[in-house]
Parts: sequence; structure tokens; C-alpha cells
Amino acid sequence: MMPTSKPEVQDTYRHSFRRVAKEARRELKEDNLSFFYNDLLQRLEPVSIEVAEALSSVCYVLVAMASTTLRAVTHRLTTTPVDQLPSIAAFLAASLSDCAELLSAPQAQKPGKGDSDHAVQIHKLKIRLASLLQDRSVEGRWTAVVLVKATVEAGQWEILRGYEPIVRGLIGILAKPDPVSTRKMCIITLTRIFHLTYQYPTLVREITTPHLPGFVTAALNLVSTLVKLPSGSSRKPKPNTPFMEIVLHSILELIPRHPTIFRPFGTQLSSLLGDILSSSSQVYYPEQVLDVAEQLFASLYRCAPKDKSGHGWNDECKSTIWSAHRAADHVFRAIAEQWESVDPTLVHTKQHYSKELADPSADALGFPGWAGIHAGTDRLVILLRILSEIISLPSAATVAIPLGSILDLTSRLTSVTIPPNGEASQNGVQFNPQISRDERELLWAELPRIHIACMDLLAHVVSVLETSTAPISQNILEQVTWVFKHEKFCREVRSASYDLLSSVLKLTGPAMTKQSVASVASVLRVTCHDLLPQFEDSIAAKAQTDPKSKSKGGQGTANADSFLDPELRKKQQLKAGPQFPEVQQAASGLLQSALAYIAPELLAPSIRAEIDRTIILTSNKDAMLASVLNPIPAAKGRGAGSSLMPFLVRSYPEQMEVEALVRPRMPVLMSVPELDAYAEMEEEEEADEMVDEPFTNTSQTTSFLKEPAVATAGAQKTEPSAASVAPLQKRTYFEETPAKSHSSPASEQQPVQAKKARFEEKAQAPASVPAYQPTKVEASMVPKQVPAVSQAPAAQATSQLTAGAPLPVDDSDDELPTLNIESDTEDDDEDEDEDVAMEG
Amino acid sequence: MLSESFVASTLSSAKTPTATLRDVGICLQEFQPSPQLRSTFKKSSTTTNCLAVSPSHIFSAQADKAVVHVYSREKGNQEALVPFPERIRSIAVAGAKYGDVLVLGTEGGRLILWETCTGRQVATTASHLQPVTSIVVDPTSNFILSGSDDASIHVWSIPNILSFSKPAQGRDRQPSNAPIRTFSNHRAAITSLAVGHSAGRHNIAVSTAKDNTAIAWDYQTGRVLRTYLLPFSATCVALDPVDRAFYVGYEDGSAQSIVFYRSNSAQNPLHDPSLQSTPAQVSAEDRWLPPSADSGAIKALALSYDGTTLLSAHESGKVLSWNIARRKFTASIADYTHPVTNLVMLPPNGLPLSSQDLKRTIHTIVKPRVDNSFADPAHAPGAVPAEYAFNTHILASSTQPKSRKPSQFSQALTHAYFPDSMIEEGLAELAALRQPGGSDVIRVAATSSSHADTSVPATTQEDTHVADLEAEVAMLKKRVAVNDTARHANASEVTKLRSDLAQLQDYINELHEKQEAAQQDKVQRQARKEERETKRREAWLAAEKKGRNGDAVMRKMEIDDGMLTSESDDQSDE
Repeated sequence: MMPTSKPEVQDTYRHSFRRVAKEARRELKEDNLSFFYNDLLQRLEPVSIEVAEALSSVCYVLVAMASTTLRAVTHRLTTTPVDQLPSIAAFLAASLSDCAELLSAPQAQKPGKGDSDHAVQIHKLKIRLASLLQDRSVEGRWTAVVLVKATVEAGQWEILRGYEPIVRGLIGILAKPDPVSTRKMCIITLTRIFHLTYQYPTLVREITTPHLPGFVTAALNLVSTLVKLPSGSSRKPKPNTPFMEIVLHSILELIPRHPTIFRPFGTQLSSLLGDILSSSSQVYYPEQVLDVAEQLFASLYRCAPKDKSGHGWNDECKSTIWSAHRAADHVFRAIAEQWESVDPTLVHTKQHYSKELADPSADALGFPGWAGIHAGTDRLVILLRILSEIISLPSAATVAIPLGSILDLTSRLTSVTIPPNGEASQNGVQFNPQISRDERELLWAELPRIHIACMDLLAHVVSVLETSTAPISQNILEQVTWVFKHEKFCREVRSASYDLLSSVLKLTGPAMTKQSVASVASVLRVTCHDLLPQFEDSIAAKAQTDPKSKSKGGQGTANADSFLDPELRKKQQLKAGPQFPEVQQAASGLLQSALAYIAPELLAPSIRAEIDRTIILTSNKDAMLASVLNPIPAAKGRGAGSSLMPFLVRSYPEQMEVEALVRPRMPVLMSVPELDAYAEMEEEEEADEMVDEPFTNTSQTTSFLKEPAVATAGAQKTEPSAASVAPLQKRTYFEETPAKSHSSPASEQQPVQAKKARFEEKAQAPASVPAYQPTKVEASMVPKQVPAVSQAPAAQATSQLTAGAPLPVDDSDDELPTLNIESDTEDDDEDEDEDVAMEG
Repeated sequence: MLSESFVASTLSSAKTPTATLRDVGICLQEFQPSPQLRSTFKKSSTTTNCLAVSPSHIFSAQADKAVVHVYSREKGNQEALVPFPERIRSIAVAGAKYGDVLVLGTEGGRLILWETCTGRQVATTASHLQPVTSIVVDPTSNFILSGSDDASIHVWSIPNILSFSKPAQGRDRQPSNAPIRTFSNHRAAITSLAVGHSAGRHNIAVSTAKDNTAIAWDYQTGRVLRTYLLPFSATCVALDPVDRAFYVGYEDGSAQSIVFYRSNSAQNPLHDPSLQSTPAQVSAEDRWLPPSADSGAIKALALSYDGTTLLSAHESGKVLSWNIARRKFTASIADYTHPVTNLVMLPPNGLPLSSQDLKRTIHTIVKPRVDNSFADPAHAPGAVPAEYAFNTHILASSTQPKSRKPSQFSQALTHAYFPDSMIEEGLAELAALRQPGGSDVIRVAATSSSHADTSVPATTQEDTHVADLEAEVAMLKKRVAVNDTARHANASEVTKLRSDLAQLQDYINELHEKQEAAQQDKVQRQARKEERETKRREAWLAAEKKGRNGDAVMRKMEIDDGMLTSESDDQSDE
């Protein structure tokens, strides 16, 4: 008999489930359990896979024995048709990662019989995986890749040893026209394997050294084509490949661990990355690809030839800075720069003002030339981002971060800002008369991008140096406030400034002088404006007061809506429009740092009031906490300063930190009795553990005895289970309705019986079989039962549950007995019959 | 395993220690779980407050010498010997968890700040009139508190001292390397300083002086919070980790705890203004007495991480531990023979402390540069000189201010197998792969004996059937269309031919008519000719009958005829 309809599937489920639970209670021997597990798996073969999965996971929790799981996995892996494997791959992988202990157990010592059995199972698994990797079907290979990753993660060294053929198979897949996902996962798995071998010299010798070059070649072939040149081979990126990001990630992950193996690929990689980053190939690369390419470029110095590797980092840093200066020479030619370098060795490039803006030759990093101001800015930004990566990625050895040169570069780039109204010399910018106005205006348009990249670079510097930023923090502060003053119209400039300022404030805020605080204060005003919600209402009001705007068609209609619906106006609808979460986040972070770290007496009262108003209106908890903790100092002649505490407590009464702030209970320094009390408490805890079970039981029973008081809910609850049991007992549909009314009191009686029976069992269980923990079984079973109830009543039941009783956990506990009827043996026999019928 | 250790340094004396401790000046001792000596550093002799420990190095200012010894904790050896122009009387590390900046208090009353990663060295004004004997740095690493024998304590701002670019100063402002605040409530030489553990604005400092007082004060404002009149002059002070109490050590080897909290009031008694003006008397009976009288004066105090055990370093060379809760001596931890002058607790090993997570480390310190190369460049005051470089080993990718979104790759790399999103993507792709390919479908259909999957291949089969039919229909339609066009072409050809034919027939008819007309014409002409002939003959006959020359008449008639015929011919020709 094949189950086709849902109720029957559920019946099978319930039957099998009950049987396992029962048997597990009766006989707690491993062999039996595993027998039942396998038996179930076989029985469930015809049932849908979801049920099998759900059931085997339940069984797994019940059994909690890795070896069984492992055997089951191997069994399924060998018996399931290959093209169905993908659908259970995730499940198998999860099971495999659950037997991590078994897979990673050293196999050298295997005294017991069980251990050798495990070894056989693991061996079987390995063989099957290796053959699946070579499988003709796409599905087989896909599954193999997923499971190889799972075994590697679970088994680590023990599994990797002897995985050499599997590694070879995986590399082979890369060259095949498999689905993209197979190959992607293959790259990840291989990366992980090489990643893990790093610590073990034997594995490096066995796996990494022979196979890593092959993997790198295969991976690079996926994303690029090899071009043989007389001077050496270089690589051109393939346009439109889905693997670019993942391959770059993988190489980035591996280079620091196996730099010597990557040495032959150094020039190929740098040519490939140069092409990607310089965007000379006119191909669009997404942000993530550029990001990882920058990081990879920044770590390429690791695979420099041996004689140079010592200075690699410093050289790379230096040439990046030089390239940036060179690009800036070209990009900034429309203005006469006032900046003078602190580094006398820096040479400026000569310009041809008659020609179009371009740098035709390759620079110090080997990036090809560019033309046009946009491309020039692109180059400058990319170089700044590479520099950020260079100073923030882990280095191979001690490096000298050239703070002087970096700040020199940023001071050059930030000293040029957009002049207000395009007029010269208002902010110290002088125009170069040899360059046309058009180019100058293009430069103004590009400037914010450069400044954002500068601020990101400085943010990286601050993040690396932390407290050692102190010597340069004032310089950074000056640069940020200067740029902010002139380019605050640009949202991203604002966002980057907020981030940088807040990280600087965190470090040196407490010692800031009045002058520095004053320069930050102007930024804080804008920050408040950014955070304050814009209401539709205020716009409408503005429109009303301004008679001219009425003539405009668009606004007129918008206002009409708000007139028509007075509710709309009452609600003060937020202005619909694009949201800018980055700016808002950065802004609230800045306000918080300002409140927490700047001395409150240095902040002008008007700004402080503005900040307080903003954080109340935006319900910014952390900022409010900071404001409360750093109150406005009481001025002479006036009363105590006001505090935001009421607002904080009103908005977040349930938060722990608010509680700690408002009702402090700091313990007084402990005295002797307290210390002793602590020891007593430990003893008590132990005692608690001893009496834990009876205690929970009594609580259960008491809660059950209370049940009649909640009567309707309880009766309703039992209904669905009764209804679903009904077809089992061959009742007709018409009999069911009256049966319900009869069965509900009956089923209320039954639990009492069952509960008592279980009670006794629990009392006995720990004595007879100490390993068995009934509470645990219960707990694991409870959550799985809820979905077992048939759908329609289930929804009803749950809604009633939530309505009737506050604690859902208790309810499911109470429901348990109905599913666990073990006292009545006739029912069991029926079950057996049913099962036989099922099989037949 | 969780373990807690401390570093102790000694002042060499006439006593000769055991062989293991010969020449040893600094000891790294495990305190918990089992007290034992872990490692030692040799050739050092320090007075009180002359030991500083950073995560990578140990600095010890030598007694009676203008030299600081630098020991590498990583390599376990002496790394450098740094001479200074003056004797150093106290040192401390600043730079929070990294300890990048060493603060030195000199005999002459000034501070020297040495950035150990860059080699830059900045000196302050000589604001103290006497040697600087104790230095502490606050937890935010923004302020230095320095105590001197001249009874004053100065508060300095590290960013102000170190900053290249000096913020614009008002007319009446001090130079930036001068102290920002001075605390002068003590009446005698400062013996010891301790700073609270708060990073906020209301952190406290506790100072002890030889005038038998201990004062708790707010170093951000200089306000006195509490004055304690001690029974003796305290030699050293330590603060509870939660700032609930402080502990002082005395010359006679006893220690004492002074608890800030007396009542159960919710307000912190330190901030109770009514108590701030009245000094509190501390009774001598409350002291915790040492086990024996010969233990000597307490030179330094330190607290365990959990704040339940107090360690004291004694002149006799012993390190004793005290139970704070029981208020008495518990055990002797170590005996270094020489007077122990400094005690620095290290953060415990084995706790996942995010505050101790280092993003970079210093392997080798950069000695202070003697040349003046870090001076301001002449043309750009306040700019950072080009030589200024920060030597460090970057360990972990620093958490960026805008935390980068974890990419799919990094998630997948450390996942137990693959993230669900990736598995689903793959399954979708496999499913898509199965759909269009004909061969695949057949294979799946053939192998789908399992009941669970029958529906899928069946539908795919149907789908392909429908697709086939549709293709056929499309083909037929196309064929019909082709036929249609062909037929259209034929028909038009036929009609054209027909019209041609009709035209031709018309032409033929025309020709026929012309021919007929010509025939008729010919016949008429013949008839006329015959008529004329007969007429001529009749005329000849008539003339002959009349007896005239018939020929003449004939000729005349012929001429007439000729004209006539020519005319008629002309007509016919037309």
C-alpha cells in the first residue's frame, strides 16, 4: 500500500514515531536503536522525503549516537539513486557535521570493536564520495562536492589525510562544463582544504604542494585567458564570468598561507588585477569584485620574489602613494595647488596643458594609462582604496606604516575643495588659467569621490592605530572639518565624515580642547539635521505659506491629498522618499560618540539642546544613555541641568542598561558571610539538580490539575489529536462528531493516567538506566509534535492555545500524553497491524 | 587553561639570592592556579613605580642610572638599553591595550613621552619642582597623572602633548605640552597614585602622600571627593576593579582596605557633597597585619582580576596575598630575596576578552631618535613629517568603521557544509538544467522508478510532448504560409498572362480588320479599274462609232484615269 494522501502520511509518521519512542524507552541498547533507525529509513523510503528528513532528525535527537547517523548516511548515500541525491544532500551534510566527533577521532588507536566498525564506515564514505566525484551525472558530482566539504569540516585532519584523490577529483571538476554552482562550491571546498592543511606539514607535503598550483591554474583559467608574451605570461580577464569574485576571494584566502606556491603566479595575478582595477578593458565589475581585487592586490607583495619580499610591503605602499600623487598631478591640473609636500623626494610630473587630460604611460604599480577626468578620478580612488587595504590587511612581518606620507597625500587631496559659487580664492583655491572652465567644473563634480576615498583611508588608519592616533588626530580632524565645510551638500561625504569623526572622538574625545570641539560643533549641527525626520506636514505647511508654490502642478496635487484626508495630516506622515540608512546610521553613531566622549562643558548649550532634541525625536537609546551619563554641568546661578532620563525610561523601560542606570544596585564590597553564602549557594545548586526532576514533575502535574479551570481551552486542545486518531480506529466520518464530545472527557482522563504512569517510570528510570534521561527525550520530542497535528485544527488549536494559556511550552507538555499513549496495549497492537498493512 | 600571572621587579641589595634567582631583576610569576615562577629577566634593579609592562615588552627604569631596560616578552630576552639625558624616577605605559607610548617621569620634574613604534620622543615642560615619582595613565589613554615629591599632582593631556598640529591657542593659554590641571591638596611628597577604571567623565583618582592622607578626587575637574586621614603614611595604593574601595600598604608591612561605601544609600558617597569637605578618619586597628614583623614595608600593591585577592610586594623580598573578604593575610606567594619594588598584574590568559584582542603587535621597539627629524617641516607648520612611520605587525584585518558585509564566500568557507542559500541556488540550477535538455529528460524518465519522484518526470514528459506538438504546429503553419505565398504568386502570373493574351488577341483582331479593310479596298479598286476599263472601251467603241480617233479619246481618258487612279491610290495608301 502506498501512501498518497496527507493524513495517511501523517499516520505513518505518527506510528513510526510512537514505535521508536516506545522502543527507545524499553530497550536502550545502541544496536536496537540503530536497527530501528535503519528500519524506519527503509520503511519511509516510499514516503515523501520531507517526512523522512523530519523523522530521521527526530530519531537522531532521540538516538544521539553519531555512529548510527554515520551508518545511515553511508547507507543512504549508496542506496539512493544518484539523481535524487541533491535533494537530500543538505540533510546528509548536516548529519555528517553532527558526527564530527566520530570523523575527527584519531584512528590510530582502535582497541574496541565499535571503533573498527567506525573506521569501516568512514572508509566506505570516502570511497563513495570519491566515486561520486567521478560520477557521470551532474547531480552526483554536485552532491559529492557538498558532502566533501561537510566531511572536511567535520573530520579536519583525520579526514584530510588520504584525501589526495578527492582533491584531484575536485580540481578535475573545475575544468568540466558543470553547473556554475558546482564549480563555485568546488572552489570553496578546495580553498577550505588548502586552508586547513596549512597547519600540518605532512598534509602540506601530501596535498597542498602537489595540487595547489593545479588548482590556481584551473581557477585562473575560469576567469581569465593566458596570454604568452616574450617578457612572460600575463592574464586577461574574461568578460562576464560568474566566477571572478569567488576565485579572487579564494586566492586572497590562500596567498597569506602558502605564499611560496603563489610565487610563479605573481606576474600573472598582477596583470589580471591591473586589468580589473584599472578598468581599461571597458568591462563593468561589481563593487564586490573590485573590493576583493583591491585586497588581493594589496597582498600581492607576499608572493614577490624572495630577494625582494623583505621590503615588499613598504615598497608597495610607497609606490601606491607615488602613483596616487602622479594621478593627482594630472587630475588637479585645472587648479594651482597651494600644497607643498613634506617629502622633498617627491617629483611632480610635467603637464601638457594643450592636450586632453590623460596619463598615457603605465605608473609605478604597473597600471596602464588613462584618459579623461573621470577615468583619472577612478584611478585615484582605486589607489586610495588599495592603500587602505594595504594598511589594514594582516601583514607578513613588521611593517612601517608611512603615516607621514599618507597624511601628506590626504592633506594634498583634501586641501582642494569645491569653491562656493564656483568663485576662485574663496576657499584658497586658485584656478589655472591655462585650463578651460569646462574641465575645472568637471573636476568640481569629481572632487567628492576623491574626498570620500581619503576619509575612508584615514578611517582605516585610525582603526589600525587606535590610541596611537593621538599624534595625528588633530591633523585628521582639520582635514575632515575642512572638507565637510565645503562639501556637506554631498550625502556620502557627510556619511564618511561622520564615521571618521566618530572614530576619532572615541579615541581622543575626552582630551579635546575647546577649539577642536568648536570645529566639530558645526558638523554636529548638520548631523542633527540629517537625523531629524522630515514630516509631510511641515512640507505642506511650507507650501501653504508660500503662495508661489501653489502654481506648481506637482505640489498642488500632493497637498490636495493631505487636505482631503485629515487623518493623514494628523498622523504626520513621514516624507515618502528614498531612505539613506548609511547616513542615518553614521549620524547617530557620531551623536552618540559626541555625547559620550566630548566634555559636556565644552559643547555650546545650543548645540547640546539640538542634539538632545534630535535623539529624543529619533528614540536613539544609546545616545540617550550617553546624554544621561554626561549631563549638562549645572551653571552657576541656575538650577540643576535637565536630564533626558524621563525620555529614556519612557521609551525603553524594559532594557537592562536603563534599569541599571535608574535603579542602581551596585553591591557593596563583599564581606565574609557573603563569600560563605556563595559557597552555600553552590551546594544548593547541586541539591537543586538532585531534586530537579521531582520538582518539574510536580509543577507539571499541578499545572495539569489547574487545567479544568481553563477547561474549554484544554478540551479544545485534545480535539485535534482525537480527530486525527479517529480514522485509525476505522470510525466513519458521521460517527466522529459525537465521538468527539465523548472522547474529550475521556482524553482528559487519559493524560492523568499517562502522566502518573510516566511519573513512576521517571522515578525508576534513573535508577535502572543512568544514561537515559527522560527529561531530555521529552524536551526533544515536544517541539516536533506540534507540526504533527493535522493542519487545519492545528492552526485553530494554536490560536486557542495562545488565547487560553500564557505558556505554550506547558501546553505542549500537556499535550504530550495523548501522543504517548503507552498504557493501553490494544492500541499498540492495532498500530502493529496498521504497520503491517502499510508494508503489504 | 585559565591562568593569572604577575610581573614583579626587585631592587638589588646586598643579600645573595638562591641560584635560580641570581642576577634576576624581573620575575614573571604565575599566581593562579598554582604559584610558580614562569620566567625571569636579568640585570635589572628598579625602585618603586619604575616598571611598566605592555603586551609585548617590559620596560624597567634603572635605579640610580639614566637608563631604561627594554625586555621582549615574546623572545624572553633583553632587547634594548635606552639611555636618557636624565635619571628616570617613574614610568608608565600609555596607549591602552597596545602600550605604544612610554611615559617617563624624570628627576628634573618633566615628562618624556616616547612612542615606541615610531621612535618619536616628546618632552613636556618641567612643571614639577621635584622628581616625578609616580605616573598613572587613565583607561582611555588620554590623560596622564604625575605625582612628585613637591606634593603636587599634574594632569596632562596625551593628545595635546603628542599632536603634531597644535590647535590654535588663545592668548592666555599655556603651551600644549604643559599640564592642563594641577592638584595640590596634599601637603607632602606624593607616594603613590591610582586611577579608577571608568572610561567615562567621572573617573576618580586616589593619591597618597607622606602627610598621612589619601585623597579620592576627580581628575577631570580637580575636585576633591573625599579625604582620608590614615594612621600612617601609605607607601602604595591600589583600587578595587569596580572602584568600590582602595587598599593602601604601610611601612610596617600591614595593609588596609578603605571602603567608599558605608551606608546603603543609592548615591555614590564619593559624589555626596556633604561628605566631601569632612575628612574621614581611618582607624589604625582596622589594619591587616602581616604574618611576621620582619616582612618589611609594602612597596607595591596589586589586585587579582576578580578583585578578591590583594597582593603585596615587601621589602623583605616576599610577595604576600591577602583575602579581601576575610581581611587578612592568606599566603606567601613568592620570595625573591631582594626587595620587591613593583608588582604588575597581567590580564588573565584564556579568557576571550575582546578588550585584550590585539589587532597588531610590536616585535621590536624603535629606539628614540636623537636627531630632530620629527620637527615640523619649515614650510608647513603642524604637518606630519614624511619620515614619520609607524612600525608594527598588523595581525588581524581591522574591523572597518563601515563593517564590510560578510561575503558569500567567507560565510561558505567556514560553514559546516554550505549555507542554505548556496545549496538552494545549486538545486535550482540543477533543476533548470534538467528541464530543457531532451536527453536528460529521457534518462530521468527511465530511472524514475521511485514513487516519490514520479510526478516530476511525468510532468516533464508531458511538457516536452506539448513542446514537440507545438513545434510541429509551428512548422505546419509555416509550410501553409509558404504554400499560400506560392499560390498567390501563381495566380498573379496567370492573370498577367491572361491579360497578355487578351491584349494579343485584340492586336490580332485589329490586324485582321486591317487586312479585311485592305482586301475590300483592293476589291473596290479592281472594280473601279474594271469599270474604267469598260468605260474606256465603251468610249473607244463610241468614238470609233462616231468616227473619231478612238486612240486619242483613249489617251485623254488615260490621263484622266491616271490622275484618278493616282488619287485613289493615294487614298488607298493612306
